[in-house]
Amino acid sequence: MRLSEILRLVWLNLSQNKFKVILTSIGIVVGSATIMMVLAIGTGGREEVAEQFKNLNAGAIDITYEGGASSQTFGASFSTGEGNVSFFAPAGAGDGDFGGSGGPGGFGGRGFEGGAAMGELFGSGDGRINQENITLTSEDCEDLSVFVPGISDATISYSTNVSVEGGAMDSEAYYTIAGVEDNYAQISNLEMAIGDFLTEENNESKEKLCVLGATAAKEIFGSAYEAYDGVIYIDDRPYTVSGVLTEMGTVASGINPDTTIFIPYETGIKYITGDQISPTITVIAEDVNQVNEVIANVETVLADIYPDAQFTISDAGSKMEAASASNDTLTLLLISMAVIVFVVGGIGIMNVLFVSVKERTNEIGILKALGCSRKDILLEFLLEASCISLIGAVLGVMFALGITPVVETFSVRVSLSVSGAVLSLLFGVLTGSIFGFYPAYKASRLIPVVALNQE
Amino acid sequence: MITMRAINKGYMLGEEKLPILKDVDFSVEKGEYVAILGPSGSGKTTLMNIIGCMDVMDSGEYYLDGMAIHETDEEELTEVRNSKIGFIFQNYQLISTYNVMQNIIMPLLMRGMNHKDAQEQCMNTIKLLGLDHRIEHKPNELSGGQKQRVSIARALVGRPAILLADEPTGALDQNSGKEVLKLFQELNEMGNTIVMITHDLGVAQSAKRIVRIVDGRLFES
Repeated sequence: MRLSEILRLVWLNLSQNKFKVILTSIGIVVGSATIMMVLAIGTGGREEVAEQFKNLNAGAIDITYEGGASSQTFGASFSTGEGNVSFFAPAGAGDGDFGGSGGPGGFGGRGFEGGAAMGELFGSGDGRINQENITLTSEDCEDLSVFVPGISDATISYSTNVSVEGGAMDSEAYYTIAGVEDNYAQISNLEMAIGDFLTEENNESKEKLCVLGATAAKEIFGSAYEAYDGVIYIDDRPYTVSGVLTEMGTVASGINPDTTIFIPYETGIKYITGDQISPTITVIAEDVNQVNEVIANVETVLADIYPDAQFTISDAGSKMEAASASNDTLTLLLISMAVIVFVVGGIGIMNVLFVSVKERTNEIGILKALGCSRKDILLEFLLEASCISLIGAVLGVMFALGITPVVETFSVRVSLSVSGAVLSLLFGVLTGSIFGFYPAYKASRLIPVVALNQE
Repeated sequence: MITMRAINKGYMLGEEKLPILKDVDFSVEKGEYVAILGPSGSGKTTLMNIIGCMDVMDSGEYYLDGMAIHETDEEELTEVRNSKIGFIFQNYQLISTYNVMQNIIMPLLMRGMNHKDAQEQCMNTIKLLGLDHRIEHKPNELSGGQKQRVSIARALVGRPAILLADEPTGALDQNSGKEVLKLFQELNEMGNTIVMITHDLGVAQSAKRIVRIVDGRLFES
């Protein structure tokens, strides 16, 4: 029989059982929608990672010290910080590397790549834990600049969560306050929308000035323009806004600049944190290919200064890899879930087709008596299964398109793609065809005289 | 047209084999109209299934239109059913989801013909059987007589070597039955070879030749 005629018969049978077709295909609808959403969320996650790191200096190396109780205090305040900071928490936690993120500016530790690396970072290979209460200082930062070859720049910063009032806000709100030096903007590739970044003079004079991230300015004042030269109260002290950053969407040294308020390093120590800080020193390797050598030299210099301390050192490249790996793991997990849904959907199709073959045994008998070949009967039932799956897959893709805005309201980035839709359709049809094969095969092998006499 | 020699067929009943056909010799010439008459359980349906290539014999030789059926495989038997045999069943055996036209053209589609050509080819047959105003109807919208005419049309469209009818009037009222038998006579006069199986002597008498089957053995009347 011609394929076109078999397809015509398939269409005839399906069109006369629309409700059954829809019910049969529900498993595939869910499976296809899941696959499409998983791919879209996975792609969205990758794009988000790429976007977050797009302005990050590839040669940036963060150094933090995870010591006694003081660092835990800052670690806690950091983790309750703004949205993008929390992005790192699962990856860090998953690798058992919470120490890195404990530091206010830390990347989350070089051990991000895996639990094995954690021992190396913390020196926990020999079971030792930092007992000394060490606070990295601007002097340490200068020492590293002087003694470590291959460094183009170095800066020190910390962050904490403090109440902020003023602007257009009716009540106080908590913001990440980052104490930074004047070169922080250059190192972190920050760009000013209006005004100027903090200067060395501001820092030395401990002036109560601040630079607002784009989102923070919008939240506190309504716009960057209104924020400029305005006054906000950080920990009940007035700070003049000397500038507002452009929207960065990048996490640098564990800080999301969009939602952060930057103040001079020394100002923060004097008025907000006191000495109870756990700063991050960020050094920039001149050559991104020499990052490992620079890290080794940094460790050597720090070991000279603090012989009994073990520092957490992380570089931007490892961080990006870890974030991508974390995203890939999540995507893989979701794909596994989608595969399970497909298998369940496929079994559903197989069951319905078995029932269908049973119901249509007499029809198969008639077709065989009239001279329909096994191949044609196999093809007809297989194409019916494939068409049911295709219908299910198309509905699944449409469902995924429809549900995307709903998913996006939960701050999940969804990046739909044509390739994702095609893959969903392909998986859907393939599942139906594979699970539909056995019932179709059984139909084709029916003995004509037995099938014909079946009531 | 049909030559059968020493055909034996039995079915397993538990451990034992129950013989149904016993050394059956049977032949039909081209253009003949033969009725196989026998009571229920005599083996006539088994014989029809073997003649119609829907079942295989245990032993014996069967030649249909010069072809050694006893030596053919399932794939070839499928082709034989499509090209050489036109089945007419007691309970019509129409596909309920297809309309009259779709049911009638099925044997042609199975030969690889396209839908349009198949429809054109079967129009004469449809007119001959008076079904031209019913082609869009589904089987459940037809009377018993009309259903049987659709079944006959489907058997005829492929221009088979023989028409094989199993109790063709069994499910019809008397008038419809008479109409069908009259139609068979006309078809035979047009040159069609017909083998009809029936348990009804009155029906069998419409054929030109009657063969009786009793307890799996054939006897010429």
